[in-house]
Amino acid sequence: MLFLLPSRLGLLALLWIWLLGGPRAGQAQPACTLSLSGRVIDHESRQALPGATVLLLDTREAVITNVDGYYHFQLCAGVSRLQVSFLGYESETLEVRMAGSVVHDIRLHPVAVALRGAVVRGTRVAEQLPQATGTIAGRDLQQTRGQSLGEALQKISGVTAIQTGPSIFKPLIHGLHSNRVTILNNGVRQEGQQWGQEHGPEIDPFIASRLTVVKGAASVRYGSDAIGGVVLVEPRLLRDSVGTGAELHLVGMSNNGLGAFSGLVEGNMRRLPALSWRVQGTAKRAGTARTPDYVIPNSSFAEYDFSGALGWRKDTYGGEIFFSQFNTKLGILPDSHLGNQSDFDLAVGRGRPLVPQNFSYAIGRPFQQVRHDLLKLSGFVRTGTAGRLTTTLAHQTDVRDEYDRYRPRNDNRARLNRPELSYTNRTTTADLVWEHKPLGKLTGSVGLSGTYQNNRYDGRPFIPFYTNKVGGVFLIERWHSKQWQLEAGLRLDRRDLETRRAIGNSGNFFVATDRFQYTTPAASLGGIFDASRHLTLSATGSLTRRAPAANERFSDGVHNGRFDIGFDLNRPDGVPPLSPETALHAGLTATWHNNPRFNGEVSVYQTYIQKYIYQVPVLPPPLNIRGVVATFLFQQTDAMYQGVDVAGTYTLSPQWQLVGKAAVVRARDQRLNDYLIFTPADRAELSLRHDWHEPTAGRFTRRFAQIGAYGVARQTRIPTEVLDYALPPTGYVLLGAEIGTTVQVGRLPLDVSLAGANLLNQTYRDYLNRFRYFTTEMGRNVTLRLRVPLEFTKKAP
Amino acid sequence: MKDVLFKKSLLGLLVAAPFFVASCSKDSDPEPGDDNEQITTVRYVLTPTTGGNAVTVEYRDPDGDGAAAPTIGTLTLAPNTTYTGRLTLLDETKTPPENITEEIEDESDEHLFVFTPTGTNVTVTITDRDEKNLPVGLQTRVVTGAANATGTTGSLRVVLRHQPEGKDGTPTPGDTDVDVNFPTVVR
Repeated sequence: MLFLLPSRLGLLALLWIWLLGGPRAGQAQPACTLSLSGRVIDHESRQALPGATVLLLDTREAVITNVDGYYHFQLCAGVSRLQVSFLGYESETLEVRMAGSVVHDIRLHPVAVALRGAVVRGTRVAEQLPQATGTIAGRDLQQTRGQSLGEALQKISGVTAIQTGPSIFKPLIHGLHSNRVTILNNGVRQEGQQWGQEHGPEIDPFIASRLTVVKGAASVRYGSDAIGGVVLVEPRLLRDSVGTGAELHLVGMSNNGLGAFSGLVEGNMRRLPALSWRVQGTAKRAGTARTPDYVIPNSSFAEYDFSGALGWRKDTYGGEIFFSQFNTKLGILPDSHLGNQSDFDLAVGRGRPLVPQNFSYAIGRPFQQVRHDLLKLSGFVRTGTAGRLTTTLAHQTDVRDEYDRYRPRNDNRARLNRPELSYTNRTTTADLVWEHKPLGKLTGSVGLSGTYQNNRYDGRPFIPFYTNKVGGVFLIERWHSKQWQLEAGLRLDRRDLETRRAIGNSGNFFVATDRFQYTTPAASLGGIFDASRHLTLSATGSLTRRAPAANERFSDGVHNGRFDIGFDLNRPDGVPPLSPETALHAGLTATWHNNPRFNGEVSVYQTYIQKYIYQVPVLPPPLNIRGVVATFLFQQTDAMYQGVDVAGTYTLSPQWQLVGKAAVVRARDQRLNDYLIFTPADRAELSLRHDWHEPTAGRFTRRFAQIGAYGVARQTRIPTEVLDYALPPTGYVLLGAEIGTTVQVGRLPLDVSLAGANLLNQTYRDYLNRFRYFTTEMGRNVTLRLRVPLEFTKKAP
Repeated sequence: MKDVLFKKSLLGLLVAAPFFVASCSKDSDPEPGDDNEQITTVRYVLTPTTGGNAVTVEYRDPDGDGAAAPTIGTLTLAPNTTYTGRLTLLDETKTPPENITEEIEDESDEHLFVFTPTGTNVTVTITDRDEKNLPVGLQTRVVTGAANATGTTGSLRVVLRHQPEGKDGTPTPGDTDVDVNFPTVVR
């Protein structure tokens, strides 16, 4: 198979394809940032059609026209197929050849019988949000294939990741993570052990056709955990045109020998046009990663995922059933698994793995094994008078098993081969949203959401058994005018958390039950102002209260040589239990778009979290039989997060483009007047991109080459009160490059690309990697990616 | 007509669906963690080779990690005496207590005790060997020298290194299962 080719061979093959293929000369132009814009108007009256849907048939990306009927896309060079539809008008499909920025107005013909057939199907578009958002779709997403979700999201400015070795990435939005970031997987709030910093999201990123990050609180819509932001993982919509199609992805990486294969088959039946289906699966194996100097021991991993969806869709009602399963086994660096503080100090002192290992695909102890199942039923009803009602019912099971470095000493126990830590989380969520029909300039929705969650463990205790019941109601209204959109939202959640803790041991054992009930409000206000056709300004302000989670109250156990203690476990008499935190968020975003040269976005934000729940070390650490064990206690303080994200592109000439991104976050503990730990260091990225354009349809199209540098400064803003095991590492600059093309093989347009990361094979450590104490980062890595779209549909007789 | 009825019932179903949510199984309670291996107690028994009463010292934390603090005994040895030392390790969170010593004996090629006396005239020599002739440390010979200066107390640190991979007689491989400090005085 192609992805198993030695990387050098693959590189040569691709270079050959890329260099020899197609005419080099010709009118050149930038791809993927070309602006396609225009106006959708009524063919007869020439009146603007606000709210019309413009769908890119190749990527399934869709936008709705604004109040003046304008739409806008950023596209790659080449031919793009668009479908434009609007209620009461005939849908129009057209091809646009992008050879520079294009302005294309579209006139739609009204149909005599409205409400029949011409309706947009399966193309509901999220409204523009007042919060800063970042999206990865189309070719950008293709450039991340093979990476984990958390790693791919780092393409968005202001989004970083807490890493645990080379394989586990936990998304960090503006410095906030875990219990403060909500991940929506296909419209369902992902629930598992999301509190853990070394617990990556249990989602196959190959399922997504689009990844969106809402940077900043979005609690009214997504619940009180969305203080830091929201990650939306959206699969492609079910096929709505008759036929059967498929898409295959192959990815190979040179550094760790990663091979990934992902395939998707989808169809829509001629006999039953309302019925659509899709099956999808991914297999991924990776061996040990290599730093420039050594192999990172036991960093291999394996992942096997599949999903299936079946939908029935009519114009006024529809339903979908979706099931997905995610399975992964992740090797963990043995050197990170330590008994006590002095082991830790010795390992940090070494700074590199003790026992050298050769490259291997084997996964030994310690490792994590995680399975996540999701079953989702959803449906909608649209009526002409009442609006649209959507309901989603989902059940998730998350099983996380963690195996220690060494099997149990007792042979009988060792034979059972049980995980030392094992959590099972079962969550049922139900959501009901009613979007009322527009009342003048007012649109909006009312929603109810409910969660029933049950968490248990086997093996060593760490977080308690708990039952969590949450009920919420929200209202979001939006007022549109020519240039303004104003949005206001309110939410109320009732949370009932019952924890059941094991106390004592056999012979003297009982269960301590505690119950916590909170009613937490959320409110938001936002506005979007189209200052001109080239500049949009938006502002958002919100208040969220988040009730403490079970781990913050009652964590109690040792994990990787570190003891975590929940606040309520260690609370002196008379001190009230942990109370909800209150987040006040404000953000301002300016977006320049549709400009011939410079396009970009600047956003500034501030999140103040009163009674911020965080962990502080207990000094001196308490003694146990393993000696001194680093012990962390959950505490509350007042925290302030502030920062700026910048992203922009500058078109130097039709074929050359400069792309830049930068992000700065500052986080302060206001009670101690000190910095907060684990804040992303300042970073910036600059790349230069060249796009070729072939005037005639040759065999090689959409060829591009880019080279870029990614720089991260040393984090100097660290708490003086908190002792870290080692000072933050020095800053680094990494060089990367990528080339790619679309090759026409018979009737198949294959996307091929070759990307190199850390090209100079530099030795570096990153502050946000939890294993930076024990090992340096991955060295040079070359990735070969291939995407094959297939269409099995026969021509209609 | 049928269509309308169908739609109405579907609508009803959609609205009602969230309210059908109920837990299918009774939420369970935690049980005693009898499968978790812990070491709660380190007992060091020193018998004078010339006869006489054995000296016993204990580090005990019967409730395991966290919660109540451990109790730590003081080791008081006679000057210029040779003792035979035997270590016993227990898990007292189980009823009856589990003897970890036997498991260490069975897997002696994966374990190493490290004895570090400080501020007192005590020399500890490991006398037992594993199958590869590397030291283990469950059995020791302890030789004392001159008495401590009046009013001073030293310490004896006992560390158990769990070394399933690469045991080579040095403390470096593996990780720490026990790290206790006994106040020690020769008088």
